Amino acid sequence: MMRGPRLLATAAALACAVAFVPDTAHAHLVDTRLGDFYSGALHPLTDLQQVLPWIALAVLAAFQGAQRARWIILVFPLALAIGGIASLAVPLPSFGPLLGLVLVAVTGLAVAAAARLPLGVLLAIAVVMGLLHGAQNGAAMVATTDRLLFLSGMTAVGYGVITLATGSAIAFLHGAPWRPIALRAGGSWVAAVGIMVLGLHLVRPVAG
Amino acid sequence: MSGRAFIARAATAGTSAKPDAATSPAGGVRLGGRALLAPFAALGGLAAALLCLVVGLLVPATMARAHEATMAVITLREIAPGRFIGQWTMPPVDLSLQPIFPPHCTWEPPELVCGARGLTGQLSFMGLGSKQSVATIRVIPHEGPMEVYTVSAAKPTVMAARDPGTDLAVWRDLAETYVNLGIDHILRGIDHLLFVLGLIWLVKGGWKLVKTITAFTVGHSISLAAATFGWVGVPERPLNAAIALSIVFVGVEIVKLQRGEVGLTARYPWTVAFAFGLLHGLGFATALTTLGIPQATLPIALLFFNVGVEIGQLTFVAVVLALLWAHRQAQALLPRWGAAIPAYVIGSVASYWFLLRI
Repeated sequence: MMRGPRLLATAAALACAVAFVPDTAHAHLVDTRLGDFYSGALHPLTDLQQVLPWIALAVLAAFQGAQRARWIILVFPLALAIGGIASLAVPLPSFGPLLGLVLVAVTGLAVAAAARLPLGVLLAIAVVMGLLHGAQNGAAMVATTDRLLFLSGMTAVGYGVITLATGSAIAFLHGAPWRPIALRAGGSWVAAVGIMVLGLHLVRPVAG
Repeated sequence: MSGRAFIARAATAGTSAKPDAATSPAGGVRLGGRALLAPFAALGGLAAALLCLVVGLLVPATMARAHEATMAVITLREIAPGRFIGQWTMPPVDLSLQPIFPPHCTWEPPELVCGARGLTGQLSFMGLGSKQSVATIRVIPHEGPMEVYTVSAAKPTVMAARDPGTDLAVWRDLAETYVNLGIDHILRGIDHLLFVLGLIWLVKGGWKLVKTITAFTVGHSISLAAATFGWVGVPERPLNAAIALSIVFVGVEIVKLQRGEVGLTARYPWTVAFAFGLLHGLGFATALTTLGIPQATLPIALLFFNVGVEIGQLTFVAVVLALLWAHRQAQALLPRWGAAIPAYVIGSVASYWFLLRI
């Protein structure tokens, strides 16, 4: 009787994995008709490879307790902004997509394990993720983009998502004992998708 | 075919002095310390307000760049209901410039066929840019006066509409146009959002906040209607300056409240919100009055525009309240010594706008 849901789960995981393949995560400016602030805000939200690890990071932070978790509300948006600004001067590193996938897998695994991390390690993950995603979003700007507005929008949405996800995860963890298990199960999914796509990325034959 | 109206769906709608940005809501970040928490003093809000300051400082300068305008005019003469013959009466500099008509119209130069719905819907031009920055469509209908639509690189689309009567499709077009215009206007109107943020900060939550926001809504709806119908008129520059001043006032009220003084807003929040709502409504009206909407569609346009403004405003309030809740869950609140900083930042930004606008 369990085969149906399992098959469904496997299909969903594969679908996520396909959605995550780095080649599909190319630069994509989103025209919101509301100007570059909102384009910058919407840009990361259209990329599952960014939003999913943000939420995983927030859940991971929530597992550390509110006293530690609150630091990522400050650190992550700052790192995102710095990454975006850095993209104006420094080209994206070639290992960026690989690092992005590693971050997905690592945060997913840590959530699945409900790992208790030192604050420094948690913040290091937040900083690396913020810098990388900030740079990736910043690199999507074109010559006509108002950089200040775009980066402001990106930072604002990073702050909004990480704050809402962290607060929600902390609130969710208070209560019935199944709740941490549910979040850990979600983390295992993120880890599975990250590892699958990482595998695809590493074994992909080199063109030419 | 009489009674047609041209309605700009302003992708860049808004008052001229508004920076193009949105406000992130306030929450509070307490980075250690056992001080009494100030739950509505968020570091996120502080960061957002600082961001606004930077945006406010930089955007007007970039918006003020000179831009060379070269005009192209195409004239459409209606030869039968829904059928037009088009001709460039002022040919474009850039020959790749092409008009884009609503999907239900078929454009096979020089003939445009729109059928029973007529020429209603979104109009635009393909190829607007540095070479050709402005283009105009002139429509000479079978009956009624000539209509003129101007599209520019800054305002890339224009809506053509007519008195809806019982035509559901036209009603839908009008609703889509003006609800979107209202949402666009409030979301791009950082000064209005900053004022709403100040109100939330002052009133904190609960029914008092519901009453205050409702009073603000009623106030701006009344003055929006009055200004749109031409019953009242205020020059744009002093109006925008007064709107900036209203935000300064809210900033001062927040500081007063934090010092334990009971200010005017703390005592009569809904009255203050209503009064300033009247002021902000006049500001909202500039988005409509500058479009030159004919009287036939004006009440409908006003209704849908106001609905759009409310949707945008309520969305903003919901996001702010959600963020405040999340900050409280994460115990991410400012220490007491920093609680007043966001209010000062809001006041400083608004003061800067005030000086810029007088």
